[in-house]
Amino acid sequence: MGEIRNFRSGNHGDPPPQGSMPRRLAAIIVGDIASYSRLMQADEEGTHVRVKRIERDLIEPSIIEHHGSLVKTTGDGFIAIFDSPVEAVRCSIVIQQNLIGRNASLPRESRIEYRIGVNLGDVIVEPDDIYGDGVNIATRIEGIAEPGQVYISGAIYEQIKHKVVCGYESLGDRKVKNITDPVRIYRVLPDADAVGRTRGRRENTLILLLGLTLLVIAGGVLWYLLMQQAGNTVERAAAPAVSPVASPSPQPPPRETATQTPQPSPSVAASTPSPAPSPSPSVTPAREPEMITIRGGSFAMGSNDDPTERPIHQVTIKPFSIGKYPVTVGEWNECAAAKACSFVATGKDDAPVTNVSWTDAQQYAAWLAQASKKPYRLPNEAEWEYAARGGTQTKYWWGDKLQPGMAGCKDCGDLAAEQPAKVGSFKPNPFGLHDMGGGVDQWVEDCWHRTYQGAPGDGSAWNSGDCTSHVLRSGSWKNDSRYVRPSNRDGYDTNVRYPTHGFRIALSP
Amino acid sequence: MRILRCIALSAALALLPGAAFAQGKTAPKDAKLYFITPSDGARVRGGFWVRFGLRNMGVTHAGDDYQNAGHHHLLVDVKDPIDPKEPIQQDKSHLHFGAGQTETFLELSPGNHTLQLVLGDAKHYPFDPPVVSEKVTVRVRQPPQRGK
Repeated sequence: MGEIRNFRSGNHGDPPPQGSMPRRLAAIIVGDIASYSRLMQADEEGTHVRVKRIERDLIEPSIIEHHGSLVKTTGDGFIAIFDSPVEAVRCSIVIQQNLIGRNASLPRESRIEYRIGVNLGDVIVEPDDIYGDGVNIATRIEGIAEPGQVYISGAIYEQIKHKVVCGYESLGDRKVKNITDPVRIYRVLPDADAVGRTRGRRENTLILLLGLTLLVIAGGVLWYLLMQQAGNTVERAAAPAVSPVASPSPQPPPRETATQTPQPSPSVAASTPSPAPSPSPSVTPAREPEMITIRGGSFAMGSNDDPTERPIHQVTIKPFSIGKYPVTVGEWNECAAAKACSFVATGKDDAPVTNVSWTDAQQYAAWLAQASKKPYRLPNEAEWEYAARGGTQTKYWWGDKLQPGMAGCKDCGDLAAEQPAKVGSFKPNPFGLHDMGGGVDQWVEDCWHRTYQGAPGDGSAWNSGDCTSHVLRSGSWKNDSRYVRPSNRDGYDTNVRYPTHGFRIALSP
Repeated sequence: MRILRCIALSAALALLPGAAFAQGKTAPKDAKLYFITPSDGARVRGGFWVRFGLRNMGVTHAGDDYQNAGHHHLLVDVKDPIDPKEPIQQDKSHLHFGAGQTETFLELSPGNHTLQLVLGDAKHYPFDPPVVSEKVTVRVRQPPQRGK
C-alpha cells in the first residue's frame, strides 16, 4: 500500500523529458487486500502463497481477458489500466465475484478480500508504473471501499451507467486527502447475491418488513377468499382454468393472451388470488413452480475446459426469475391432466420429470403461461449459466474441487442411483437454486451451436442457425463430474425424448 | 371354441405392448451396421464426415416403435462395453441421431480416435443381439491452417 500512496502527479522526482513521455486517458483500477497486516500476522507464508495464487489465477487472467494491462502488483495490491471504462468495471466485478466463490468455504478471519477503486484519468505511463492525479484518486476511492466491493468515480459512472447493467449506489461527493475538488463516488452492486451480502442493514430491514407486510396481506386475502367460497373451490378444481371458456366467476373475467402482465383489475385486494406471492395450490388455477428472482448483472460466460465452451465472452443479463428446482413429475402431470402436455409422467411427485423433449418442455411452458397468465418460458442459455454460477467464476459453483452433497452425478461422491434424486436433495447454490448441475439435463431456449463464436452478449436466446437441435445444460445423474460444471453444454435433437432430460422454467419480470 | 379363440386373441393383444416395451428388442440376424466413411485406419485433417451404413434394417426417429428399425448412435473413444439393459448413454462421447440422421460432421482433437456405431430402439436401448459396427480407428492430424 505504501508505494501507491507515494504517487505524485507530474514534476516530482525525475521528470520525463519533454514530449517523449506518453500521457493518455485511461481507466485505472486500484485493488488492495483488506486487513492484509492481520492476515500476514496470522500466517505469513500461507497468506503470501494464497495472494500470489489469486494474482496468478484470477487477477492477471481477468485483466487480460478484459483487454487491460497490469501495471504492477504491490505486496498486497495491484494497479491495472484499461482503455475502456466498461471493461475496467466488468473486470473488477469478475474479480470480486470470483473471490466470493473462493472465500465461501473459508472462515471469516482467513478470507482474502479486496477493496477495488476505479477512476478515469489522464496519466503518465511508464513501463512499470503510472503517475498522475487519476491514480491518486483511484487509490483514495479504493481506500474508502468496503472489502469485497467495487467503488467507482463519477467520471467512470458517466461512461458506463447505460452499458454495464448492474446497480449503482451513489455515495455522494467525498472529499479525499490531498485532492482539492471533492470526488463523486458510486458503489457498484453487481447482482442479487452480492447485494445480499453487502446491502445495508437499513435496507435489509426495510425489505424484510415489506415482505412481511405483503405476506400478511396475502394471507388475509387468501383466508377471506377461502371462507367466502369454501363450496365454490370444488367445482373450480374440477373444471381446470385452462379451457378458456368455462370456469366460474371469482376470476377477473378478461382472458387475454398469456404474455401480458397480470392486470390488477376491479379492486386490487380482491383480485390477488391468482398472482399472490405465496401461491396456494388449492386456490390458484395452476400450481406454479417455486421461483427465485435473479437480479441482472454481467458475467464471463463459458470456459476453456471444452471446445464447445469457447470463447469466454462477457454477457449482460437482465433481471428474471427461474425455477428453484427442475419441473417435477407432480407439476408436469397437472399439465398432462389439462391435456396440454402429451404424456403422463411416471414416478414420485417430487422427482424431476424426465424423458421430455425440447418440444415437450415448450408445451409445458406455454400451458403454464396460459394457465397462470404470466410470461413463463424456458430460460435462455446465458440466463441458465448466470444462475448456475450464482455469482462465482470457479469450476463448480462451490469451488474448484469436487465435494459430496453438492450435485447428483455418477462420480460426485454420493451413491450412484438408478434414478435421479428428488428435487432439492443437494445443497442450493449462492442464488438459492437447487440442482443447477447434475440431477437431470435441462433444456434451454437456445438452438445448439458448437461454439460461442458469434453468440449474443445481451443475454437473449440465440435462435439463429440450425435449429434441429437445442441446448441441454446441467448434466445428469448418469454423467460424470465434468458435466456438472456450470459452463458445460451439449446439444440434442429438438423432438427426441431421452430418459435423463428434464427442464426448469423461467419467468420474465 | 370361439370363446377360447377370443380369449387367446385378447391375451395376445394385451401382451403385445408389453413385449414391445421390453428392453432388447430383437433384430434380424443378418442386420449389419457399418461405416461407409471413414475406413479403419483413415487419416484425416481437421473435421471430417462420418457416414453410417445399415443393411437389412431401417432407420427411423427415436420414439418410433417400428419392427426392425432403429436410430444411430456414434460412440467416440468409448472403451466401456455396451450394457444391453441400459439406454445408450447420452454425453459428449455418445452422440445420438434420434432424428434419423445417417451422417455427421465430426471435429476431433488431433490424435488417434476410435469410432463405433450402435443402433438403438425407440427408447434408446440396444437391440438383442446388439446391432453394432466394427470399431474403426481414425488418426486426426493438425488442421491445415491455424496459427497457434
